[in-house]
Amino acid sequence: MIDRLRKIYPSLLLYGEDIDTLDSDYKWFSDEENTRVLGIHESELAPKDIALLSAFLLPHNAKFPLPTKEEKQWQQAIRSAETPPGSENRISAPFRFTYFSFNKNQITPVFFKAALQELFEKQILILWDSETEGILVEKKEAADDGVSYGQIVDLLMSDLYVKIRFFSGPFRQSTEAVHAYYRTVKNTAVKVFAHSDKAAMTYADAVPHLMVAAASKELRQEIGQTVLQEYISDRETLEMIEVLVRCNLNISESAKELHLHRNSLQYRLDRFSEKTGIDIRQFHQAMAVYLALLAKRQGGQQHPPGNLHEDGG
Amino acid sequence: MAGLSLKNVKKVYENDVVSVQDFNLEVRDKEFLVLVGPSGCGKSTTLRMIAGLEDITEGDLYIGDKRVNDIAPKDRDIAMVFQNYALYPHMNVYDNMAFSLKLRKMKKQEIKTRVDRAAGILGLENYLSRKPKALSGGQRQRVALGRAIVRDAEVFLMDEPLSNLDAKLRVQMRAEIQKLHQRLQTTTVYVTHDQTEAMTMATRLVVMKDGLIQQVGSPKEVYEKPNNVFVGGFIGSPPMNFFLGHLQGEHFIVGDEKIRVPEGKLKTLRAQDYDGKDVILGIRPEDIHDEPLFIDSSADTKIRATVDVAELMGAEIILYSSIGGQNFIARVDARYGTEAGQPIDLAFDLSKAHFFDAASELRIH
Ligand SMILES: Nc1ncnc2c1ncn2[C@@H]1O[C@H](COP(=O)(O)OP(=O)(O)O)[C@@H](O)[C@H]1O
Ligand SMILES: [Mg+2]
Repeated sequence: MIDRLRKIYPSLLLYGEDIDTLDSDYKWFSDEENTRVLGIHESELAPKDIALLSAFLLPHNAKFPLPTKEEKQWQQAIRSAETPPGSENRISAPFRFTYFSFNKNQITPVFFKAALQELFEKQILILWDSETEGILVEKKEAADDGVSYGQIVDLLMSDLYVKIRFFSGPFRQSTEAVHAYYRTVKNTAVKVFAHSDKAAMTYADAVPHLMVAAASKELRQEIGQTVLQEYISDRETLEMIEVLVRCNLNISESAKELHLHRNSLQYRLDRFSEKTGIDIRQFHQAMAVYLALLAKRQGGQQHPPGNLHEDGG
Repeated sequence: MAGLSLKNVKKVYENDVVSVQDFNLEVRDKEFLVLVGPSGCGKSTTLRMIAGLEDITEGDLYIGDKRVNDIAPKDRDIAMVFQNYALYPHMNVYDNMAFSLKLRKMKKQEIKTRVDRAAGILGLENYLSRKPKALSGGQRQRVALGRAIVRDAEVFLMDEPLSNLDAKLRVQMRAEIQKLHQRLQTTTVYVTHDQTEAMTMATRLVVMKDGLIQQVGSPKEVYEKPNNVFVGGFIGSPPMNFFLGHLQGEHFIVGDEKIRVPEGKLKTLRAQDYDGKDVILGIRPEDIHDEPLFIDSSADTKIRATVDVAELMGAEIILYSSIGGQNFIARVDARYGTEAGQPIDLAFDLSKAHFFDAASELRIH
């Protein structure tokens, strides 16, 4: 078929064979299975030609980058519980999924992939869910140049004017049950982004949020009230607790971040301890206070249970 | 060039957190405006609303005289610099600066002109072919600025761009950013939680707390005439001292001390019916004196206090003490050799002090 079409449209190019980018002066079409994508120069196409070609080919959506072979295999793996057929299979462990989402109308998937690619040495793999969200497949490799997702967020924000969030699942040592793993990562991301304002998180970061969200509203209120007592609406103290946890209970570092003198922070911790009997400098007590803080933050809301069971497809 | 204007702007996040409210501000053309306040007070949210990265829940935003609430970020003619000034690790300096322009399909020659100009301004001409790994922290930060400069935007937005740098480099980069602003004169909104940074860099500053503007003014105005207790305590280091006491006749009474209130201030206080009532006295550490000469001439604002700690800081000593159970800090000349443990005389320079309402904490004037 390609040869016959080429006789009619000499400009015809096959993506991946004749050309590696989707030139915008060409009109792009793909066959049903999206295995072959061909482009024909616009100068050779009258409206009638386009209508005719569209009858047996699909106009390619140029907003999305074309999936690579490997991406297609991962797509298959996350869509069905069965592992795709063996020999050609390039899916391999260890790997992890990092979910991302950005606001509507800020950037196209093609742009996004081009920019993100520049941050990684290896070809990146993206499985798109929609125009604004998807999964980045990461292979575990010897330490990369170490650009963190937190940095990537800022970089893309200043370069592309897009506000993006990342959520990384844990690394997996096997490719079994990719489907279930995918759903866990995606559903957790959606859920935890509703509770946290951090732009880059991991599954481990999310665990306390998830536990608290799963508690009943009454329990959340009770824990918040009982542990934090009079501090429950004291923004400064809550901020202090959060910073302490983030800084591994390190007083000097926390004081610096809170722009307090070390002694002032020490003094505030003593006061907190006098009033509540809780010493935040002890790990397990800090943990209780942190959970109470999250409970307080989530306190007033009821969470739509839909989020938990939402299908990732 | 352009100014900005925010009218009754409010931001409520999906989780019902009210992050910013009643936000009214005019950013003048070419000015270097600093948003400052403790973390969580809504600075970044405000900046991201200006950028268009965050929807505005209520209110209007104008760039120049155009309402831009519904304009996409890329069409707002702004350039941004953030805290994490990451660079693309596999690209050299030139490409790092050129990348966003390339993505926008700008002509090669135009890109080159802009990158060369930015590199010239930032003194990066000799580093254009280096990879980020081979740059110092300061050079990397300059490349990050370069990436914003090449945009040729009407407005710069910077969110804590220096807070990942060590103290020495931070001071150096502050000066560089100021020089840059003098040269380019681009309207800039700069966010920091660091009051020293705000004071040294700002043409005007906006002090925020809990999503609300507390005060807008030049660094000098805000320092000398804080609107309320929060601003007084937040701006200046060591912070302003506050004493809760009451006004009795011509005196402010705190603990066993009677401090004479100067005539002008007394008149204002009486006119507003504070006689016999609780008020807060605010006085900066440098306005508490231990020089014999000052004390001799200020017998009626003299107090006696025991110094708990005396920190020698070169030419100055920071004294930690208290009266009536209320702690305060004094910053005095080191030459009088005050030491901890001694009870000493100190005198307040009440002409520089402020009174605040005990309930609303607003400055009485
Ligand atoms: N994406 C978000 N979702 C929910 N709440 C947020 C989000 N971003 C910020 N907030 C909340 O809004 C308030 C102001 O945050 P922010 O603007 O980041 O403050 P600042 O920059 O002054 O530290 C905080 O209470 C913060 O938790
Ligand atoms: Mg911030």
